[in-house]
Amino acid sequence: MDDDGTGLGALIERSEDDHADAMRAGRAGLDELVELGHERRARGEVDADEAREFARRRSGLLRDSAAGAGAAVGLAAAVLALGDAAAAAGTPGDVTILQTAASLENLAVATYGVALTLPFVGGASANSVVKAFVTTTRRQHAEHAAAFNASIRALHGRPQTKPDPVLSTVVDRAKPTLTSAAKVVALAIELESGAAETYVRDVALLRDANARDLTASVMGVEAQHVAILLAVRALIDGGAAAGLALPPPLAALPAAAGRVGFPNAFYSTTTARPATEGAVR
Amino acid sequence: MNIDDAHEHDAASESEAAERGSEIGASESELAALTADMVDAHADTYPVMRAGVAEWADAEAPAQRAAVSRRGFVATAAAMIAGGLALAVVPAAAAPRARLAALATGESTAGVPLDVVVAGLAASLENLAVGTYRAALSAAKAGRLGSVPPAVATFAATAMAQHADHAAAWNSVLVKVGYRPVTAANPVYAKVVDADFAKVTDVVGVAKLALVLENVAAATYLEAIKALSSEAAVSIAASIQPVELQHVAILRFVLGEYPVPLAFASLGGSAPVSSANGLAFTKR
Repeated sequence: MDDDGTGLGALIERSEDDHADAMRAGRAGLDELVELGHERRARGEVDADEAREFARRRSGLLRDSAAGAGAAVGLAAAVLALGDAAAAAGTPGDVTILQTAASLENLAVATYGVALTLPFVGGASANSVVKAFVTTTRRQHAEHAAAFNASIRALHGRPQTKPDPVLSTVVDRAKPTLTSAAKVVALAIELESGAAETYVRDVALLRDANARDLTASVMGVEAQHVAILLAVRALIDGGAAAGLALPPPLAALPAAAGRVGFPNAFYSTTTARPATEGAVR
Repeated sequence: MNIDDAHEHDAASESEAAERGSEIGASESELAALTADMVDAHADTYPVMRAGVAEWADAEAPAQRAAVSRRGFVATAAAMIAGGLALAVVPAAAAPRARLAALATGESTAGVPLDVVVAGLAASLENLAVGTYRAALSAAKAGRLGSVPPAVATFAATAMAQHADHAAAWNSVLVKVGYRPVTAANPVYAKVVDADFAKVTDVVGVAKLALVLENVAAATYLEAIKALSSEAAVSIAASIQPVELQHVAILRFVLGEYPVPLAFASLGGSAPVSSANGLAFTKR
């Protein structure tokens, strides 16, 4: 937290460095995971009762999601259908969920890497705020991938070093069309939303406390990426790219810019990826 | 000012901005159309949350009994601490359950299942956020904050409405498991926020105060996800925590700070369960 100059600053016990605090918590969780890993087998790969229980809970949550989506069609419906099929199989567990998470992070790292090779994102003509965002976000996704893979190893699973196979095809198809910052942002929104929604759905399904802690600490950060990307897209699409500056020209921003970044009071899970999609095959 | 008033204020701000013909006002209608689509999408997320509420209510009775057994150490820890503000004695990096256990104390929460206390704590923080944004919008309307950019007014009105939705969600849970809703702002934080708000004279001051509140809420939900025993309650908290962090990102952007500085969400600043002391946890 920055120095807010308020009494709350005294009320709230904060670390001197938020980032160090977050990383310390993450490391503590991973250390605990390693310790537990010697005692526990990889979730969802051995215990048939747990596998059935996972399938029951996941199926229930997916049914809720499907009901919430109402007349959801297209990709969201297809994803839910795939998820239900996976749930019916009754095999995915913590390691599988973590491998899918790692695959989503790997894809994000690769995609932002491609974006940075484009002159209007990573070159001299790029908006400096957008360039900084893409660079920092790529690094953050690399940290997420490393953390998810550390969790997998601690649970005696196989780390996932490849990108999500389904979304990879989406990215591959999109690459030749990335001719503007707006198109890159649109693709990034799709990837970030998929990751955030997947983690929001899966956090309650994870049995291992440390895997749950890690996923919970990542999902909100992906949602923040989405918020900023939505704002960036709206400003670009609205011809207001001049607002992409730090500090922004507040008085000149359209009123709607104040809400475009967080459209829902409750985070949606309608485009969450199937938990088995990124499993190591 | 109630929420409806705030929405009116929001709409009025947009209208005023259009009338003033801001530098980039030509994009206003496009942005409005875009966000209107998002508002429609917002309605789709409600059933998911409501399903979680129903699931929790169904499971809560046996879960509460189990929680009492699992957390027998809570009573022991509670006896060791006098209550009130114990924030300084338990570091944020401590194991979440131990941290919550050490801080779960106070007459109003005695004998109340920890998940229920956490739901009440969450509702009280959401109520505080609603009240703070409402006060800010009222102050803006009265001209006490100087010039208020339309985007900032829209942010405040939208965030306030979302916090009201969050409070309603937690209160629906409390009602379903047999408790009265928590309609008061968190008593510990409200005292400090009120004092700080009295010193605010401009939009930057409001944004800084809001940023602190949003960070507290987000960190509290992160800790709650770690500590809650009810799977459905975890799902509810998980559907809200990212939204609070989105508020944080936009506020940081508004303040000219890098919007997403951390790769992992921080527990720093999370509200301890002891701050629920003074809330009324009464059976219906």
